[in-house]
Amino acid sequence: MSNARKSLIKIKPKRYKDGEIVKVSFMVMHPMATGMGKDKKTKKIIPAKYINSVKFVYNGKEITHMTVWESLSVNPVFTTYMKINGKGKLTVTYTDNTGEMNEKTKKIKPRG
Amino acid sequence: MKTGIKIALSVAMLTSLSFGGEQFAMSAADRAMYAEMSENNPADIMVADGEELLGYMGGDEGLAKYLGVSEDDLPAYIAGFPRYIKKFDMVVGLDQVIQAMMADGGHPPLKLKSGNMFSLLAYVKSIANGEKINIDVNANPQMKEAYALGERTFMTRRGGRGLACNSCHSSDIVGSVLRTQKLPDLGSQGAKSAATWPAYRMTKSSLRTMQRRFQGCMKNALLKVLPIGSKQMVALEVYLTAKSKGSEISIPGLKR
Amino acid sequence: MQRRDFFKKLGTVTAIAAVMPAMSFAASAPKPTGPNKMDFKTAVNAITGGKTPQKSSKVKLKAPEIAENGAVVPVTVTVKSPMTDADYVKAIHILNGKNSNARCIDVFLTPANGKAMFSTRIKLGGTQDVTALVELSDGTFLTASQSVKVTIGGCG
Repeated sequence: MSNARKSLIKIKPKRYKDGEIVKVSFMVMHPMATGMGKDKKTKKIIPAKYINSVKFVYNGKEITHMTVWESLSVNPVFTTYMKINGKGKLTVTYTDNTGEMNEKTKKIKPRG
Repeated sequence: MKTGIKIALSVAMLTSLSFGGEQFAMSAADRAMYAEMSENNPADIMVADGEELLGYMGGDEGLAKYLGVSEDDLPAYIAGFPRYIKKFDMVVGLDQVIQAMMADGGHPPLKLKSGNMFSLLAYVKSIANGEKINIDVNANPQMKEAYALGERTFMTRRGGRGLACNSCHSSDIVGSVLRTQKLPDLGSQGAKSAATWPAYRMTKSSLRTMQRRFQGCMKNALLKVLPIGSKQMVALEVYLTAKSKGSEISIPGLKR
Repeated sequence: MQRRDFFKKLGTVTAIAAVMPAMSFAASAPKPTGPNKMDFKTAVNAITGGKTPQKSSKVKLKAPEIAENGAVVPVTVTVKSPMTDADYVKAIHILNGKNSNARCIDVFLTPANGKAMFSTRIKLGGTQDVTALVELSDGTFLTASQSVKVTIGGCG
């Protein structure tokens, strides 16, 4: 499991209370190559390389999981809502079709 | 290419412009959707990366010290770039300052046209988010010279089609539609372009700086591409930043 | 097991693989490898298992009428739902009409999400419909569609 890919987890609003429903976004740099594009210089087909699954795990519990297909934009963003239920951490795990696995974690710190 | 043919070609191209871009105008609802996208701009990742990179060189504090300003004054100072910096005896952009800082710190400086430098430039400029562009083109003779050179570069017809930046971006052409896109107003006062570059370009899926964008435009218009950081490119940036004077900086931008 | 039976079994598995290479339509954690070719109708059937989804105003699909470019088209799906264990949105599927692969993403939610919403950006190869296909915890499928005009142009 690596942390090599650049990514960001954003929570809106930045300050939240326990029980509040916040917007959570996961953004990652990834080519999302469909496998149908050609390299402009070599004219060869660029092999498919796209994120194919994303999981949101909050304090050990999987709250959302996604099956992702190649039609998503390059450097994709995944935004949904999440109910704050205690201090802890949100871990986003994602894989791509070439078998690459990565994760990103963000601390969850409700105020009050 | 003979001047006559050059002019004829540019006239032919200009007459192919259509006026009145209503059919391609974005509705208010669509515009709101694109504005919402800025909330989660992929370039935010590059800006965060730039922050990390600057951190290795002393961070905001180190940069302020290098520029000879207090950390409190740093955002407003950044909002005045490109500037004439005495210790370099040159009018420079923020990326060139970063290069100098790296060199003076004993590190081989990053190339101006590199992903890491674009990220660094975006982060540094974002320090000035919320500030109004306050470039002073009359601050000294060097800035005056740079502004004049920038204006000249903007107006000079060159290349296979005899086009100048002004051919497509002057105030009397603005609003016309070329290849389904409304030509943006770059050449007149009140333009906001310098306040929103560096930006994430959706069609390129990458972070692009203003000078890098100039290069792309030059290539498409069949003009010889000027190197980033060259006297003319910095001058162009001075000229266009002056046109955006007073606009509020918001980095990273989000562009087509 | 008899050697003959063993190979018969193997043969069957191989045949299925040839028909649906590297794709899994199961709602539980499929991981596509690709590129994948699938048209809209096949995608809908794969998701609903043959059930007909109902057009519903409970599903709000937000996408631009005119997309400035086809590389980054914002899409947001919101569904009115209490998101309780007894009544929640199980999945939001986003589909396109004309790309080589009609499927964009399948998002499986739980009551822990609090509200049923998903937003992302998709690639559209040209003007086409974008569809939200929603599965509720009671097994019903709701849907909403919108046409997105993709402008191709600009100076590079």
